[in-house]
Amino acid sequence: MILNGRGISKGTGEGEVLLLERPFSFLGGVDPKTGRLSGTSGAEGSELTDKVFSFPCGKGSTVGSYTILQLRRERRLPAAIINQRAETIVATGAVMAKVPMVDGIDLALLRNGDQALVDGERGTVDLRGVKGHRVVTSLLMHQGRLLVLKRSDKVSTCQGKWAGVSGYIEPGEEPLQTAVKEIEEETTVTGAKLARSAATVTVRQGENIWAIHPFLFESPTDQITIDWEHTEYRWVQPSQMQGLDLVPGFQRVLADLGL
Amino acid sequence: MHLTRDEESILAGERGPGMQRAMEILVALGRIYDADSLVPITSAHLSGVSYKTIGEGGIDFLEEISKDARVKVETTLNPAGMDLSRWQEMGVEEAFAKRQLTIIKAYGNMGVTTNCTCTPYFTGNSPKPGESVAWAESSALSYVNSVLGARTNREGGPGALAAAIIGKTPHYGLHLDENRRPTVVIEAEVQDEITDYSLLGHVVGQRLGAAVPYFKGIKPDCNGLKTMAAAMAASGSVAIFHVEGVTPRSLDCDLKGLERVRLDRQDIRKAKESLTTGKDPDLIAVGCPHLSQMEMKALASMLDGKRPRSDSPEVWFCTSRTVRTWCPKETAVLERFGKVVCDTCMIVAPIESRHECTATNSAKACTYLPSLCSQKVVCGSYAELMERVA
Repeated sequence: MILNGRGISKGTGEGEVLLLERPFSFLGGVDPKTGRLSGTSGAEGSELTDKVFSFPCGKGSTVGSYTILQLRRERRLPAAIINQRAETIVATGAVMAKVPMVDGIDLALLRNGDQALVDGERGTVDLRGVKGHRVVTSLLMHQGRLLVLKRSDKVSTCQGKWAGVSGYIEPGEEPLQTAVKEIEEETTVTGAKLARSAATVTVRQGENIWAIHPFLFESPTDQITIDWEHTEYRWVQPSQMQGLDLVPGFQRVLADLGL
Repeated sequence: MHLTRDEESILAGERGPGMQRAMEILVALGRIYDADSLVPITSAHLSGVSYKTIGEGGIDFLEEISKDARVKVETTLNPAGMDLSRWQEMGVEEAFAKRQLTIIKAYGNMGVTTNCTCTPYFTGNSPKPGESVAWAESSALSYVNSVLGARTNREGGPGALAAAIIGKTPHYGLHLDENRRPTVVIEAEVQDEITDYSLLGHVVGQRLGAAVPYFKGIKPDCNGLKTMAAAMAASGSVAIFHVEGVTPRSLDCDLKGLERVRLDRQDIRKAKESLTTGKDPDLIAVGCPHLSQMEMKALASMLDGKRPRSDSPEVWFCTSRTVRTWCPKETAVLERFGKVVCDTCMIVAPIESRHECTATNSAKACTYLPSLCSQKVVCGSYAELMERVA
């Protein structure tokens, strides 16, 4: 799976992901002699050397740029750096020490221990062993209530969880085409009218990343027939979703569609 | 960010690896801050000079880039970790001194003026109103934006060096009019005294963080402005401010609808108390930012004709080499009481090996002395500090 961000410092680097949840200061955050992280990093004792070192953004003293150079001197550099949002200290340090660096990556898609190839020229992160899937999720609305369906044990993923009308986007297909096709197949509803769409939501689950295209349709009816992919369905108020065991990313989809 | 064909060719390495690396730094910064293009600069000022801060990693980088890169505009240096000629008298070890001189040489090879001061605007590197420049050193860049009316972002040392080598900087932030307008009005009532201006700056930075303050009710001279700028940048991250009737663009500012904050002598007194953490200084250090010619004269006249106290701690008057050259008589007076130290200051010199408690009149120094130099601190005015000396 290839994630697209912005190239900050050129070159390519490959290694195991070391992921921090908090902003990181190179000054005080790492011992340049050993590459070992200190307590302030939230991952005390981990070593950043040869890792794909990933954290939300840099912080703290501008001397941090020189700490990166010191790591280079001690041959303790990370293989690459990934930031959610780059700032001056880490970016200039990475360029000076020739560490490949990319920003604009959603760190929620990374896991400690992932094998990643960072391309600082193209601004990409290739997560080896992680599969990407492009799917649609459509919410059908009828008189203020939304259709949710319980996934059967015959589908390949998320069995037993509640979801909208979902399906893989086939090669060459536009997401909206897939959405309309899946609604007809899974509910027999025809003539549903597109009300809204939202930007793609990406979620990580195990070794898979789902790129979900969310749609909201007005359904002319609440009379539907489900196929083998589901075992039950309900028409519910948006507020009644809380109690259901939902597929990953579904809350985000609802929020982004303004529901 | 749009690059011209010429800039693209530098990025591709056609003018050598030094310029290529400099351009890579500018492009990274331009991307991060959504700059539309690079804008030509007329001057640069660099931090990242003291061996104490940049270390061996920094020296490696400077030696690499100085092989073929040269600065294109007037470029000056921030203070180093020692007086470049009198380091032995300061108690600096030879190993440190050698590495410090290696750093200065690398900058010199690139065409940088190796006069190390945080107040280069007093000694020749003085941008004109409206010019774009690339300055590091938070106190100096705030002075340049606010008092001189030139335009610079808060550069780090590497970004400013890259800009000096290319002669351009990414066009964003404080190069744009909309980011230079005041965001808050400070109605201040303080004594017309340099330490009070420093403390005022400290309080404003601490309370407002990265605001653009507009001051009413004060009339600081260039020394007051210099120390205010330094304190505000250290306790907050203020990079530009206005003072009514004093700074060049202050009368064009629109204050409608801005939040107003009142600060008086009580606030100043409390700040002074909170910055004081020690009692018996073994070092008195003034000149943060570096002393101007006027301050050298004022201090010399305070001390002239007096005798050093037998219990006086060590005293440093920190200034630039140029100002010391301009003030031979004053230097002679001051040297009876302490050292007129050039090229360095109490923050970037390794004072922690010889001192435990430092007294100063600068709120900026009071902010950094505990964390960067492990010092206890006494904050006092020039008059209070000189009483301990003579």
